[in-house]
Amino acid sequence: MKKQKILIVDDSEMNRALLIEILENQYDIEEAENGKEAIKILSRKRNEFSLVLLDIIMPEMDGLEVLSHINKYRWNEKFAVIMISADDSPEKMQLAYKMGAFDYISRPFDSVIVRRRISNTMLLYERQHQLEDTIAKQFREQEKNNKLMIAILSHIVEFRNGESGAHVLHVNTITELLLRQLMLHTDKYSLSKSDISLISLASSLHDIGKIAISDYILNKPGRLTNEEFEVIKTHSAIGADMLSKLPTDQQDMPLVKAATEICRWHHERYDGKGYPDGLKEDEIPISAQAVSLADVYDALTSERCYKKAYAHNEAIKMIIEGECGAFNPLLVQCLEEIADLLKNV
Amino acid sequence: MTLKECYEGLGGDFDSVLLRLNREQLVEKFIYKFLDDKSFCLFKTSMENMDYAEALRAVHTLKGICQNLSFTNLYESSSITTLALKENDYQKAAESMPQLSEDYHRIINAIQMYQSSKGE
Repeated sequence: MKKQKILIVDDSEMNRALLIEILENQYDIEEAENGKEAIKILSRKRNEFSLVLLDIIMPEMDGLEVLSHINKYRWNEKFAVIMISADDSPEKMQLAYKMGAFDYISRPFDSVIVRRRISNTMLLYERQHQLEDTIAKQFREQEKNNKLMIAILSHIVEFRNGESGAHVLHVNTITELLLRQLMLHTDKYSLSKSDISLISLASSLHDIGKIAISDYILNKPGRLTNEEFEVIKTHSAIGADMLSKLPTDQQDMPLVKAATEICRWHHERYDGKGYPDGLKEDEIPISAQAVSLADVYDALTSERCYKKAYAHNEAIKMIIEGECGAFNPLLVQCLEEIADLLKNV
Repeated sequence: MTLKECYEGLGGDFDSVLLRLNREQLVEKFIYKFLDDKSFCLFKTSMENMDYAEALRAVHTLKGICQNLSFTNLYESSSITTLALKENDYQKAAESMPQLSEDYHRIINAIQMYQSSKGE
């Protein structure tokens, strides 16, 4: 196994030499004779180190300044800092702890205590990192399963609609790209990165209400009558109703809240001429606005049994000209701006 | 001359340093190294130049070395000087210098005698 590496920062050559003598059998050692040099070494290759032994009183830059730099850039997430000092005033030590030092070893150095203290600290740090890795892995696994469950559910809905499973995936991606682009233009909607991924995930459920529409109408070849079209239009309210009948604790979950908004309002239009509620402009939640644009754009640019696929420019033109209803102009602008990204969707 | 006798001569605590550093060779290596250490000279010149910040750092370093090598006498006198400089009491610091200097040279002499007794 590769030896762990320690950086010793002390202006006294004798003190460094003594620590090296105590530690060199177990560890790789590098030395710095003042704070400035330590920062230089750490900026270049901090990932190599498991531990920094830091003296307080030094010329050029003292130990507390080094500590504050390390803290500021959060370097000590990867390595521990142990203070070594002949100055055992409680104030200095308290300050060092406050500034992120993990521990301190006071002089005179006792070889057994120094070795043990250092190995314990490293062990603790290593265990903590292993734990963090494990948790992150489990979290990713869990998230993967959640996404998979939603993908299966939306696939079933699409399967029944006779649409390709790709539509939901496209709407997911386009919604996410649109909202990210929107955030570059305005902070009016104040969406965080995780809000955006949540909306994008929830967009998969936009058409779940269609499972309540009869096969006959849903998959009718040829034109729908006005009456039939009215039936189809109920799917958005039905989808939201289905979600609102979930147990209360589930309704409060952000994913369900976002999905409910999207289900109900993804056929609203910016000028108030959509359905079911005739909401206009920003009365329509931004989540539903983004999904409705993504939904329309993907329908235009994909091939269907009754139509060919339009190219990006044609689709944009049709959207701007209002052939599919009115949309938030800023969102349409975002759609135009992400043209290159959409080619890979 | 044994290392223990050398320590008695220089005003230090041999048992304590051996307990901490474990091996006589290591203690010997580091007292030889002390002959080349510049902290005391730096302290003296800085005091002469009235560069008290530098003097404080130097005598503080000297104090740390004395702690590690269990040079009890010099540790005590360097502690007094360190404290005086920390409190910006330059007169007291200057007054503490003869004792500090005496303790320092006593150590240097003892180590040199030990060294020559071993024919090194």
